[in-house]
Amino acid sequence: MPLETGGDRGAGGVEQRGGAPAAAGGVADQVRRAAPAFPMVEFDRVTKAYPTGVVALRDVTLRIEPQEFVFVVGPTGTGKSTLLKLIYREEAPTSGRVLVRGQDVGRMPIRQVPFLRRQLGVVFQDFRLLPRKTARENVAFALEVTGTPPALVDGRVREVLDVVGLAARADALPGELSAGEQQRVSIARALVHRPPLLLADEPTGNLDPDTSWEIVQLLSQINRAGTTVVVTTHDKTIVDILRRRVIAIDGGAVVRDEQRGLYAGGA
Amino acid sequence: MAREGARPERARSRRAGALRYFLAQGWQGFTRNGLMSLAAVVITMVTLLALGGALVVAGAVGHVARYVEQQVQVVVYLRDGLAPAAVETVRARLGRLPGVTGLEYVSKDEALARFQQSLGGHAELRDLLSRNPLPASFVVTVDRPDRLRGIAADASHLPQVEDVSYSAQTVQRLLAVTRAVRLFGAALGGALALVALVIIASTIRVTVFARRAEIEVMRLVGATAWFIRWPFIVEGAITGACGAAAAVLLVLAAYALVVHGAQGTLPFLPLPAPEQVALDVSWKLVVWGIVLGVAGSLLAVRRYLHV
Repeated sequence: MPLETGGDRGAGGVEQRGGAPAAAGGVADQVRRAAPAFPMVEFDRVTKAYPTGVVALRDVTLRIEPQEFVFVVGPTGTGKSTLLKLIYREEAPTSGRVLVRGQDVGRMPIRQVPFLRRQLGVVFQDFRLLPRKTARENVAFALEVTGTPPALVDGRVREVLDVVGLAARADALPGELSAGEQQRVSIARALVHRPPLLLADEPTGNLDPDTSWEIVQLLSQINRAGTTVVVTTHDKTIVDILRRRVIAIDGGAVVRDEQRGLYAGGA
Repeated sequence: MAREGARPERARSRRAGALRYFLAQGWQGFTRNGLMSLAAVVITMVTLLALGGALVVAGAVGHVARYVEQQVQVVVYLRDGLAPAAVETVRARLGRLPGVTGLEYVSKDEALARFQQSLGGHAELRDLLSRNPLPASFVVTVDRPDRLRGIAADASHLPQVEDVSYSAQTVQRLLAVTRAVRLFGAALGGALALVALVIIASTIRVTVFARRAEIEVMRLVGATAWFIRWPFIVEGAITGACGAAAAVLLVLAAYALVVHGAQGTLPFLPLPAPEQVALDVSWKLVVWGIVLGVAGSLLAVRRYLHV
Protein backbone atom coordinates (compact mmCIF):
# COMPACT_ATOMS: atom_id res chain seq x y z
CA MET A 1 0.00 0.00 0.00
CA PRO A 2 1.38 3.36 -0.95
CA LEU A 3 0.17 4.90 2.29
CA GLU A 4 2.14 2.48 4.44
CA THR A 5 5.30 3.00 2.41
CA GLY A 6 4.88 6.73 2.75
CA GLY A 7 4.35 6.40 6.48
CA ASP A 8 7.56 4.48 7.04
CA ARG A 9 9.60 7.23 5.50
CA GLY A 10 7.61 10.37 6.10
CA ALA A 11 8.95 13.86 5.59
CA GLY A 12 11.69 13.29 8.18
CA GLY A 13 12.92 10.22 6.32
CA VAL A 14 13.22 12.31 3.20
CA GLU A 15 15.63 14.62 4.88
CA GLN A 16 17.90 11.83 6.06
CA ARG A 17 18.10 10.33 2.60
CA GLY A 18 18.51 13.73 0.99
CA GLY A 19 21.44 13.00 -1.37
CA ALA A 20 24.12 15.40 -0.16
CA PRO A 21 24.06 15.42 3.65
CA ALA A 22 25.00 18.27 6.00
CA ALA A 23 25.40 21.12 3.49
CA ALA A 24 22.18 20.25 1.68
CA GLY A 25 20.31 19.21 4.80
CA GLY A 26 17.35 21.35 3.84
CA VAL A 27 15.94 24.59 5.10
CA ALA A 28 13.76 22.68 7.54
CA ASP A 29 16.72 21.13 9.35
CA GLN A 30 18.63 24.37 9.50
CA VAL A 31 15.67 26.32 10.78
CA ARG A 32 14.96 23.65 13.38
CA ARG A 33 18.50 23.78 14.65
CA ALA A 34 18.76 27.53 14.51
CA ALA A 35 15.54 28.39 16.33
CA PRO A 36 14.41 25.69 18.72
CA ALA A 37 12.90 28.11 21.20
CA PHE A 38 10.27 29.73 18.97
CA PRO A 39 6.75 28.45 18.50
CA MET A 40 6.04 27.44 14.90
CA VAL A 41 3.27 30.01 14.55
CA GLU A 42 2.20 32.74 16.90
CA PHE A 43 -0.73 35.17 16.51
CA ASP A 44 -0.64 38.09 18.90
CA ARG A 45 -3.92 40.05 19.00
CA VAL A 46 -4.29 39.85 15.25
CA THR A 47 -7.08 41.69 13.46
CA LYS A 48 -7.51 41.55 9.71
CA ALA A 49 -9.91 43.88 7.95
CA TYR A 50 -10.08 43.83 4.16
CA PRO A 51 -10.33 47.08 2.18
CA THR A 52 -13.94 46.12 1.42
CA GLY A 53 -14.70 46.62 5.12
CA VAL A 54 -15.08 42.91 5.90
CA VAL A 55 -13.38 42.06 9.17
CA ALA A 56 -12.12 38.51 8.65
CA LEU A 57 -10.28 38.07 11.95
CA ARG A 58 -10.83 39.90 15.25
CA ASP A 59 -8.23 40.03 17.98
CA VAL A 60 -6.94 36.49 17.45
CA THR A 61 -4.23 35.23 19.77
CA LEU A 62 -2.91 31.68 19.44
CA ARG A 63 0.24 29.56 19.41
CA ILE A 64 1.05 26.49 17.38
CA GLU A 65 4.08 24.53 18.59
CA PRO A 66 6.51 22.61 16.36
CA GLN A 67 5.25 19.16 15.30
CA GLU A 68 1.64 19.90 16.25
CA PHE A 69 -1.29 18.83 14.09
CA VAL A 70 -4.06 21.43 14.20
CA PHE A 71 -7.54 21.55 12.68
CA VAL A 72 -8.99 25.00 12.15
CA VAL A 73 -12.74 24.57 11.91
CA GLY A 74 -15.76 26.77 11.43
CA PRO A 75 -18.45 27.64 8.91
CA THR A 76 -17.50 28.93 5.45
CA GLY A 77 -16.45 32.58 5.40
CA THR A 78 -15.43 32.82 9.05
CA GLY A 79 -11.79 33.69 8.45
CA LYS A 80 -10.16 30.25 8.31
CA SER A 81 -8.49 30.95 4.97
CA THR A 82 -7.46 34.41 6.12
CA LEU A 83 -5.73 32.81 9.08
CA LEU A 84 -3.60 30.72 6.72
CA LYS A 85 -3.03 33.62 4.33
CA LEU A 86 -1.57 35.63 7.18
CA ILE A 87 0.86 32.79 7.92
CA TYR A 88 2.17 32.51 4.35
CA ARG A 89 1.98 36.27 3.99
CA GLU A 90 -0.53 36.46 1.20
CA GLU A 91 -2.11 39.04 3.47
CA ALA A 92 -0.67 41.27 6.17
CA PRO A 93 -2.51 41.85 9.46
CA THR A 94 -4.33 45.14 9.98
CA SER A 95 -3.12 45.13 13.58
CA GLY A 96 -1.28 42.71 15.83
CA ARG A 97 1.65 40.45 14.98
CA VAL A 98 1.96 37.18 13.09
CA LEU A 99 5.17 35.31 13.85
CA VAL A 100 6.43 32.25 11.99
CA ARG A 101 9.39 30.69 13.84
CA GLY A 102 9.95 34.04 15.48
CA GLN A 103 9.92 36.04 12.23
CA ASP A 104 7.38 38.86 12.16
CA VAL A 105 5.94 38.03 8.75
CA GLY A 106 3.46 40.91 8.76
CA ARG A 107 6.26 43.45 8.81
CA MET A 108 8.58 41.44 6.60
CA PRO A 109 9.82 43.33 3.50
CA ILE A 110 8.10 42.08 0.35
CA ARG A 111 11.35 40.86 -1.16
CA GLN A 112 11.83 38.43 1.73
CA VAL A 113 8.42 36.83 1.31
CA PRO A 114 9.66 34.28 -1.28
CA PHE A 115 12.17 32.97 1.25
CA LEU A 116 9.46 32.63 3.90
CA ARG A 117 7.41 30.60 1.43
CA ARG A 118 10.27 28.18 0.87
CA GLN A 119 10.01 27.36 4.59
CA LEU A 120 6.39 26.33 4.39
CA GLY A 121 4.18 24.34 2.07
CA VAL A 122 0.64 25.30 1.09
CA VAL A 123 -2.08 22.98 -0.22
CA PHE A 124 -5.46 24.13 -1.57
CA GLN A 125 -8.91 22.73 -2.17
CA ASP A 126 -8.47 23.23 -5.95
CA PHE A 127 -4.96 21.69 -6.07
CA ARG A 128 -3.57 24.48 -8.31
CA LEU A 129 -1.62 22.13 -10.52
CA LEU A 130 -0.40 23.22 -13.95
CA PRO A 131 -2.49 21.19 -16.43
CA ARG A 132 0.18 20.85 -19.11
CA LYS A 133 2.84 19.51 -16.78
CA THR A 134 3.04 15.94 -15.55
CA ALA A 135 2.89 15.13 -11.85
CA ARG A 136 6.67 14.96 -11.78
CA GLU A 137 7.03 18.27 -13.64
CA ASN A 138 4.52 20.00 -11.37
CA VAL A 139 6.57 19.04 -8.33
CA ALA A 140 9.89 19.80 -10.04
CA PHE A 141 8.54 23.24 -11.00
CA ALA A 142 8.58 24.33 -7.35
CA LEU A 143 12.30 23.55 -7.19
CA GLU A 144 13.21 24.92 -10.60
CA VAL A 145 11.64 28.33 -10.04
CA THR A 146 13.40 28.73 -6.72
CA GLY A 147 16.80 28.21 -8.29
CA THR A 148 17.52 24.67 -7.11
CA PRO A 149 20.53 23.19 -8.93
CA PRO A 150 19.15 20.95 -11.71
CA ALA A 151 21.27 18.04 -10.51
CA LEU A 152 19.30 17.91 -7.25
CA VAL A 153 15.81 18.19 -8.70
CA ASP A 154 15.14 14.65 -9.93
CA GLY A 155 16.12 12.94 -6.70
CA ARG A 156 14.07 15.26 -4.52
CA VAL A 157 11.01 14.94 -6.73
CA ARG A 158 11.22 11.15 -6.66
CA GLU A 159 11.45 11.21 -2.86
CA VAL A 160 8.36 13.32 -2.28
CA LEU A 161 6.30 11.47 -4.89
CA ASP A 162 7.27 8.35 -2.99
CA VAL A 163 6.12 9.91 0.28
CA VAL A 164 2.68 10.70 -1.13
CA GLY A 165 2.46 7.28 -2.79
CA LEU A 166 2.41 8.50 -6.38
CA ALA A 167 5.79 7.27 -7.65
CA ALA A 168 4.03 5.03 -10.17
CA ARG A 169 1.96 7.86 -11.68
CA ALA A 170 4.78 10.40 -11.96
CA ASP A 171 4.38 10.81 -15.72
CA ALA A 172 0.61 11.33 -15.71
CA LEU A 173 -0.89 14.72 -16.46
CA PRO A 174 -3.25 16.15 -13.81
CA GLY A 175 -6.19 15.51 -16.14
CA GLU A 176 -5.36 11.79 -16.12
CA LEU A 177 -5.31 11.61 -12.32
CA SER A 178 -8.20 11.24 -9.88
CA ALA A 179 -8.99 14.16 -7.58
CA GLY A 180 -7.32 12.37 -4.67
CA GLU A 181 -4.21 11.72 -6.75
CA GLN A 182 -4.10 15.35 -7.82
CA GLN A 183 -4.23 16.42 -4.19
CA ARG A 184 -1.33 14.05 -3.49
CA VAL A 185 0.68 15.76 -6.22
CA SER A 186 -0.06 19.14 -4.70
CA ILE A 187 1.01 17.84 -1.28
CA ALA A 188 4.22 16.51 -2.84
CA ARG A 189 4.84 19.94 -4.33
CA ALA A 190 4.25 21.56 -0.94
CA LEU A 191 6.76 19.18 0.67
CA VAL A 192 9.50 19.38 -1.92
CA HIS A 193 11.25 22.26 -0.14
CA ARG A 194 11.25 20.10 3.03
CA PRO A 195 9.33 22.72 4.99
CA PRO A 196 8.89 22.47 8.77
CA LEU A 197 5.32 23.74 8.34
CA LEU A 198 2.54 22.52 6.03
CA LEU A 199 -0.64 24.56 5.59
CA ALA A 200 -3.70 22.96 4.00
CA ASP A 201 -6.72 25.10 3.14
CA GLU A 202 -9.77 22.82 2.86
CA PRO A 203 -7.65 20.03 1.32
CA THR A 204 -10.59 17.63 1.23
CA GLY A 205 -13.19 20.12 0.03
CA ASN A 206 -13.36 18.60 -3.46
CA LEU A 207 -12.99 14.97 -2.45
CA ASP A 208 -15.39 12.14 -1.65
CA PRO A 209 -15.37 10.83 1.96
CA ASP A 210 -13.07 7.84 1.32
CA THR A 211 -10.54 9.92 -0.57
CA SER A 212 -10.78 12.67 2.05
CA TRP A 213 -9.91 10.15 4.69
CA GLU A 214 -6.86 8.96 2.72
CA ILE A 215 -5.61 12.50 2.30
CA VAL A 216 -6.03 13.26 6.00
CA GLN A 217 -4.17 10.05 6.84
CA LEU A 218 -1.36 11.18 4.59
CA LEU A 219 -1.23 14.59 6.30
CA SER A 220 -1.21 12.79 9.61
CA GLN A 221 1.75 10.65 8.55
CA ILE A 222 3.63 13.70 7.36
CA ASN A 223 2.97 15.23 10.77
CA ARG A 224 4.26 12.14 12.58
CA ALA A 225 7.49 12.43 10.62
CA GLY A 226 8.05 15.83 12.24
CA THR A 227 6.27 18.44 10.10
CA THR A 228 3.85 20.86 11.75
CA VAL A 229 0.50 20.62 9.95
CA VAL A 230 -2.35 23.15 10.03
CA VAL A 231 -5.55 22.08 8.22
CA THR A 232 -8.68 24.16 7.76
CA THR A 233 -11.79 22.10 7.22
CA HIS A 234 -15.50 21.89 7.75
CA ASP A 235 -15.51 18.11 7.50
CA LYS A 236 -16.96 17.05 10.84
CA THR A 237 -16.36 13.30 10.41
CA ILE A 238 -12.64 13.63 9.88
CA VAL A 239 -12.12 15.98 12.81
CA ASP A 240 -14.16 13.79 15.13
CA ILE A 241 -12.32 10.59 14.19
CA LEU A 242 -8.83 12.03 14.39
CA ARG A 243 -9.23 13.80 17.77
CA ARG A 244 -6.39 16.27 17.28
CA ARG A 245 -6.13 19.87 18.45
CA VAL A 246 -9.13 21.87 17.21
CA ILE A 247 -9.25 25.65 16.91
CA ALA A 248 -12.81 26.76 16.17
CA ILE A 249 -13.37 30.14 14.57
CA ASP A 250 -16.68 31.91 14.29
CA GLY A 251 -17.23 35.44 13.10
CA GLY A 252 -13.48 36.01 12.91
CA ALA A 253 -12.83 35.15 16.55
CA VAL A 254 -11.41 32.01 18.18
CA VAL A 255 -14.37 30.54 20.06
CA ARG A 256 -12.76 27.29 21.18
CA ASP A 257 -9.25 25.79 21.28
CA GLU A 258 -8.85 22.30 22.71
CA GLN A 259 -6.45 19.38 22.52
CA ARG A 260 -8.01 16.12 21.24
CA GLY A 261 -11.09 18.15 20.27
CA LEU A 262 -14.26 17.44 18.35
CA TYR A 263 -15.73 19.44 15.49
CA ALA A 264 -18.68 20.66 17.52
CA GLY A 265 -17.00 20.85 20.93
CA GLY A 266 -18.36 19.55 24.24
CA ALA A 267 -16.02 16.51 24.33
CA MET B 1 17.83 33.03 5.12
CA ALA B 2 19.28 29.57 5.11
CA ARG B 3 20.38 28.75 1.58
CA GLU B 4 21.80 25.42 0.74
CA GLY B 5 24.53 24.43 -1.70
CA ALA B 6 26.72 27.51 -1.43
CA ARG B 7 29.60 25.65 -3.01
CA PRO B 8 30.71 27.36 -6.24
CA GLU B 9 29.91 24.53 -8.68
CA ARG B 10 26.42 24.31 -7.20
CA ALA B 11 25.92 28.04 -7.55
CA ARG B 12 27.14 27.89 -11.15
CA SER B 13 24.87 25.01 -11.97
CA ARG B 14 21.94 26.81 -10.33
CA ARG B 15 22.59 29.93 -12.39
CA ALA B 16 22.95 27.94 -15.59
CA GLY B 17 19.70 26.16 -14.88
CA ALA B 18 17.89 29.42 -14.24
CA LEU B 19 19.35 31.00 -17.37
CA ARG B 20 18.21 28.07 -19.51
CA TYR B 21 14.77 28.38 -17.98
CA PHE B 22 14.53 32.14 -18.66
CA LEU B 23 15.68 31.78 -22.27
CA ALA B 24 13.40 28.83 -23.00
CA GLN B 25 10.37 30.49 -21.43
CA GLY B 26 11.11 33.82 -23.08
CA TRP B 27 11.44 32.23 -26.51
CA GLN B 28 8.27 30.20 -25.95
CA GLY B 29 6.33 33.34 -25.02
CA PHE B 30 7.64 35.10 -28.12
CA THR B 31 6.72 32.31 -30.53
CA ARG B 32 3.37 31.46 -28.96
CA ASN B 33 2.17 35.04 -29.34
CA GLY B 34 2.45 34.72 -33.11
CA LEU B 35 0.87 37.72 -34.81
CA MET B 36 1.01 39.84 -31.66
CA SER B 37 4.76 39.33 -31.51
CA LEU B 38 5.03 40.11 -35.21
CA ALA B 39 3.14 43.37 -34.72
CA ALA B 40 5.43 44.27 -31.83
CA VAL B 41 8.50 43.49 -33.96
CA VAL B 42 7.19 45.57 -36.85
CA ILE B 43 6.41 48.63 -34.75
CA THR B 44 9.81 48.34 -33.10
CA MET B 45 11.34 48.14 -36.57
CA VAL B 46 9.45 51.25 -37.77
CA THR B 47 10.56 53.16 -34.67
CA LEU B 48 14.15 52.16 -35.22
CA LEU B 49 13.92 52.97 -38.94
CA ALA B 50 13.10 56.54 -38.01
CA LEU B 51 15.94 56.66 -35.51
CA GLY B 52 18.33 54.82 -37.82
CA GLY B 53 17.45 56.94 -40.84
CA ALA B 54 18.06 60.11 -38.88
CA LEU B 55 21.34 58.75 -37.53
CA VAL B 56 22.58 57.84 -41.00
CA VAL B 57 21.53 61.09 -42.68
CA ALA B 58 22.90 63.22 -39.85
CA GLY B 59 26.06 61.13 -39.88
CA ALA B 60 26.57 61.57 -43.63
CA VAL B 61 25.92 65.32 -43.55
CA GLY B 62 28.23 65.67 -40.58
CA HIS B 63 30.87 63.72 -42.44
CA VAL B 64 30.61 66.08 -45.40
CA ALA B 65 30.75 69.06 -43.03
CA ARG B 66 33.90 67.78 -41.37
CA TYR B 67 35.47 67.17 -44.78
CA VAL B 68 34.67 70.69 -45.88
CA GLU B 69 35.88 72.11 -42.60
CA GLN B 70 39.32 70.62 -43.14
CA GLN B 71 39.65 72.60 -46.35
CA VAL B 72 41.32 75.69 -44.89
CA GLN B 73 41.04 77.42 -48.21
CA VAL B 74 39.54 80.58 -49.58
CA VAL B 75 38.68 80.58 -53.25
CA VAL B 76 39.05 84.05 -54.75
CA TYR B 77 37.21 84.27 -58.08
CA LEU B 78 38.59 86.84 -60.51
CA ARG B 79 36.67 89.04 -62.91
CA ASP B 80 36.67 87.82 -66.47
CA GLY B 81 39.16 89.27 -68.94
CA LEU B 82 41.87 90.47 -66.54
CA ALA B 83 45.24 91.18 -68.05
CA PRO B 84 48.09 88.91 -66.88
CA ALA B 85 49.61 91.91 -65.05
CA ALA B 86 46.42 92.42 -63.07
CA VAL B 87 46.44 88.75 -62.12
CA GLU B 88 49.98 89.17 -60.86
CA THR B 89 48.92 92.22 -58.80
CA VAL B 90 46.21 90.13 -57.12
CA ARG B 91 48.71 87.32 -56.49
CA ALA B 92 51.09 89.77 -54.81
CA ARG B 93 48.34 91.35 -52.65
CA LEU B 94 46.99 88.00 -51.56
CA GLY B 95 50.44 86.69 -50.79
CA ARG B 96 51.04 89.52 -48.33
CA LEU B 97 47.95 88.77 -46.23
CA PRO B 98 48.77 87.31 -42.77
CA GLY B 99 48.36 83.53 -42.43
CA VAL B 100 48.45 82.71 -46.13
CA THR B 101 50.63 79.66 -46.70
CA GLY B 102 49.90 78.83 -50.32
CA LEU B 103 48.54 80.35 -53.50
CA GLU B 104 47.46 78.41 -56.53
CA TYR B 105 46.25 80.02 -59.73
CA VAL B 106 43.48 78.17 -61.55
CA SER B 107 42.89 79.47 -65.04
CA LYS B 108 39.49 79.38 -66.74
CA ASP B 109 40.53 76.37 -68.84
CA GLU B 110 41.84 74.52 -65.85
CA ALA B 111 38.66 75.25 -63.85
CA LEU B 112 36.58 73.73 -66.61
CA ALA B 113 38.83 70.69 -66.81
CA ARG B 114 38.61 70.14 -63.05
CA PHE B 115 34.87 70.53 -63.03
CA GLN B 116 34.55 68.01 -65.82
CA GLN B 117 36.81 65.59 -63.98
CA SER B 118 34.73 65.91 -60.80
CA LEU B 119 31.65 64.93 -62.78
CA GLY B 120 33.37 61.73 -63.79
CA GLY B 121 34.24 62.73 -67.33
CA HIS B 122 30.93 61.64 -68.76
CA ALA B 123 30.42 64.54 -71.09
CA GLU B 124 32.67 66.78 -73.04
CA LEU B 125 31.57 70.13 -71.60
CA ARG B 126 33.67 71.99 -74.12
CA ASP B 127 31.44 70.62 -76.83
CA LEU B 128 28.23 71.55 -75.04
CA LEU B 129 29.14 75.10 -74.10
CA SER B 130 29.81 77.86 -76.60
CA ARG B 131 32.05 79.64 -74.10
CA ASN B 132 33.61 78.76 -70.75
CA PRO B 133 31.38 80.08 -67.92
CA LEU B 134 33.83 79.35 -65.13
CA PRO B 135 35.98 82.17 -63.74
CA ALA B 136 39.69 82.01 -63.11
CA SER B 137 40.55 81.88 -59.45
CA PHE B 138 43.20 81.81 -56.78
CA VAL B 139 42.95 78.99 -54.23
CA VAL B 140 44.41 80.54 -51.08
CA THR B 141 45.55 78.09 -48.43
CA VAL B 142 45.47 79.44 -44.88
CA ASP B 143 47.32 78.23 -41.79
CA ARG B 144 44.28 78.26 -39.42
CA PRO B 145 40.50 77.98 -40.04
CA ASP B 146 39.78 81.04 -37.84
CA ARG B 147 41.66 83.29 -40.30
CA LEU B 148 39.35 82.31 -43.16
CA ARG B 149 36.77 85.00 -42.51
CA GLY B 150 39.31 87.87 -42.30
CA ILE B 151 41.17 86.80 -45.41
CA ALA B 152 37.94 86.37 -47.34
CA ALA B 153 36.88 89.91 -46.33
CA ASP B 154 40.24 91.44 -47.33
CA ALA B 155 40.27 89.64 -50.67
CA SER B 156 36.74 90.71 -51.54
CA HIS B 157 37.81 94.39 -51.31
CA LEU B 158 40.24 93.99 -54.23
CA PRO B 159 38.80 95.54 -57.39
CA GLN B 160 39.86 92.62 -59.58
CA VAL B 161 37.94 90.18 -57.45
CA GLU B 162 34.46 89.05 -58.48
CA ASP B 163 33.56 86.86 -55.51
CA VAL B 164 35.04 85.00 -52.57
CA SER B 165 33.93 81.77 -51.01
CA TYR B 166 35.32 79.84 -48.13
CA SER B 167 34.41 76.58 -46.39
CA ALA B 168 33.11 77.98 -43.08
CA GLN B 169 29.88 79.18 -44.68
CA THR B 170 29.26 75.78 -46.12
CA VAL B 171 30.17 74.13 -42.83
CA GLN B 172 27.70 76.30 -40.94
CA ARG B 173 24.93 75.41 -43.33
CA LEU B 174 25.73 71.71 -43.21
CA LEU B 175 25.90 71.65 -39.42
CA ALA B 176 22.50 73.35 -39.27
CA VAL B 177 21.14 70.60 -41.51
CA THR B 178 22.72 67.96 -39.28
CA ARG B 179 21.08 69.46 -36.19
CA ALA B 180 17.71 69.65 -37.86
CA VAL B 181 17.89 66.05 -39.04
CA ARG B 182 18.92 64.86 -35.55
CA LEU B 183 16.12 66.80 -33.91
CA PHE B 184 13.52 65.57 -36.37
CA GLY B 185 14.73 61.99 -36.01
CA ALA B 186 14.66 62.18 -32.21
CA ALA B 187 11.13 63.66 -32.18
CA LEU B 188 9.72 61.16 -34.65
CA GLY B 189 11.62 58.30 -33.02
CA GLY B 190 10.44 59.36 -29.57
CA ALA B 191 6.79 59.47 -30.62
CA LEU B 192 7.07 56.10 -32.34
CA ALA B 193 8.93 54.69 -29.34
CA LEU B 194 5.91 55.45 -27.13
CA VAL B 195 3.65 53.59 -29.54
CA ALA B 196 6.10 50.70 -29.69
CA LEU B 197 6.29 50.57 -25.91
CA VAL B 198 2.52 50.26 -25.57
CA ILE B 199 2.31 47.56 -28.24
CA ILE B 200 5.20 45.55 -26.80
CA ALA B 201 3.66 45.82 -23.32
CA SER B 202 0.25 44.61 -24.55
CA THR B 203 1.86 41.72 -26.38
CA ILE B 204 3.73 40.59 -23.32
CA ARG B 205 0.65 41.08 -21.18
CA VAL B 206 -0.93 38.35 -23.31
CA THR B 207 1.86 36.03 -22.21
CA VAL B 208 1.48 37.15 -18.61
CA PHE B 209 -2.23 36.40 -18.81
CA ALA B 210 -1.65 33.00 -20.39
CA ARG B 211 0.81 32.23 -17.61
CA ARG B 212 -1.18 33.59 -14.69
CA ALA B 213 -1.69 30.15 -13.16
CA GLU B 214 2.01 29.50 -13.43
CA ILE B 215 2.85 32.88 -11.91
CA GLU B 216 0.46 32.15 -9.06
CA VAL B 217 2.19 28.85 -8.33
CA MET B 218 5.61 30.46 -8.62
CA ARG B 219 4.72 33.06 -6.02
CA LEU B 220 3.27 30.38 -3.79
CA VAL B 221 6.33 28.16 -3.79
CA GLY B 222 8.70 31.06 -3.18
CA ALA B 223 10.02 32.23 -6.55
CA THR B 224 11.45 35.73 -6.27
CA ALA B 225 9.87 38.62 -8.15
CA TRP B 226 12.94 38.85 -10.37
CA PHE B 227 12.77 35.17 -11.20
CA ILE B 228 9.16 35.68 -12.29
CA ARG B 229 10.07 38.77 -14.31
CA TRP B 230 13.04 37.39 -16.24
CA PRO B 231 11.23 35.24 -18.83
CA PHE B 232 9.13 38.26 -19.78
CA ILE B 233 12.19 40.47 -19.98
CA VAL B 234 13.78 37.90 -22.27
CA GLU B 235 10.64 37.92 -24.43
CA GLY B 236 10.78 41.71 -24.62
CA ALA B 237 14.48 41.66 -25.47
CA ILE B 238 13.88 39.11 -28.24
CA THR B 239 11.10 41.31 -29.67
CA GLY B 240 13.32 44.39 -29.53
CA ALA B 241 16.33 42.62 -31.02
CA CYS B 242 14.27 41.22 -33.93
CA GLY B 243 12.84 44.67 -34.67
CA ALA B 244 16.33 46.14 -34.50
CA ALA B 245 17.79 43.50 -36.80
CA ALA B 246 15.12 44.20 -39.42
CA ALA B 247 15.64 47.95 -39.09
CA VAL B 248 19.44 47.62 -39.39
CA LEU B 249 19.11 45.57 -42.57
CA LEU B 250 16.69 48.04 -44.15
CA VAL B 251 18.65 51.15 -43.17
CA LEU B 252 21.95 49.71 -44.38
CA ALA B 253 20.47 48.44 -47.64
CA ALA B 254 18.91 51.85 -48.29
CA TYR B 255 22.17 53.63 -47.53
CA ALA B 256 24.18 51.28 -49.74
CA LEU B 257 21.76 52.07 -52.59
CA VAL B 258 22.12 55.82 -52.01
CA VAL B 259 25.91 55.60 -51.97
CA HIS B 260 25.89 53.48 -55.10
CA GLY B 261 23.65 56.00 -56.83
CA ALA B 262 25.76 58.94 -55.66
CA GLN B 263 28.92 57.43 -57.06
CA GLY B 264 27.33 57.64 -60.50
CA THR B 265 25.93 61.16 -60.33
CA LEU B 266 27.75 63.04 -57.56
CA PRO B 267 31.16 61.39 -57.27
CA PHE B 268 32.73 64.44 -55.58
CA LEU B 269 30.42 64.09 -52.56
CA PRO B 270 32.55 62.69 -49.71
CA LEU B 271 29.97 60.25 -48.24
CA PRO B 272 31.06 57.88 -45.45
CA ALA B 273 31.63 54.29 -46.55
CA PRO B 274 28.69 51.87 -46.02
CA GLU B 275 30.87 49.59 -43.86
CA GLN B 276 31.66 52.50 -41.57
CA VAL B 277 27.98 53.42 -41.28
CA ALA B 278 27.08 49.78 -40.54
CA LEU B 279 29.63 49.78 -37.74
CA ASP B 280 28.39 53.08 -36.26
CA VAL B 281 24.65 52.53 -36.52
CA SER B 282 23.97 48.79 -36.06
CA TRP B 283 24.89 48.51 -32.40
CA LYS B 284 23.01 51.70 -31.53
CA LEU B 285 19.81 50.39 -33.08
CA VAL B 286 20.20 46.99 -31.44
CA VAL B 287 20.76 48.61 -28.04
CA TRP B 288 17.71 50.85 -28.51
CA GLY B 289 15.61 47.92 -29.67
CA ILE B 290 16.49 45.88 -26.61
CA VAL B 291 15.93 48.86 -24.31
CA LEU B 292 12.46 49.34 -25.82
CA GLY B 293 11.62 45.64 -25.52
CA VAL B 294 12.78 45.37 -21.93
CA ALA B 295 10.97 48.57 -20.92
CA GLY B 296 7.79 47.26 -22.53
CA SER B 297 8.00 43.96 -20.67
CA LEU B 298 8.65 45.64 -17.32
CA LEU B 299 5.57 47.75 -17.96
CA ALA B 300 3.60 44.57 -18.66
CA VAL B 301 4.57 42.66 -15.51
CA ARG B 302 4.56 45.61 -13.12
CA ARG B 303 1.05 44.95 -11.82
CA TYR B 304 1.66 41.29 -11.13
CA LEU B 305 4.52 41.72 -8.74
CA HIS B 306 2.84 43.35 -5.81
CA VAL B 307 2.57 40.44 -3.44
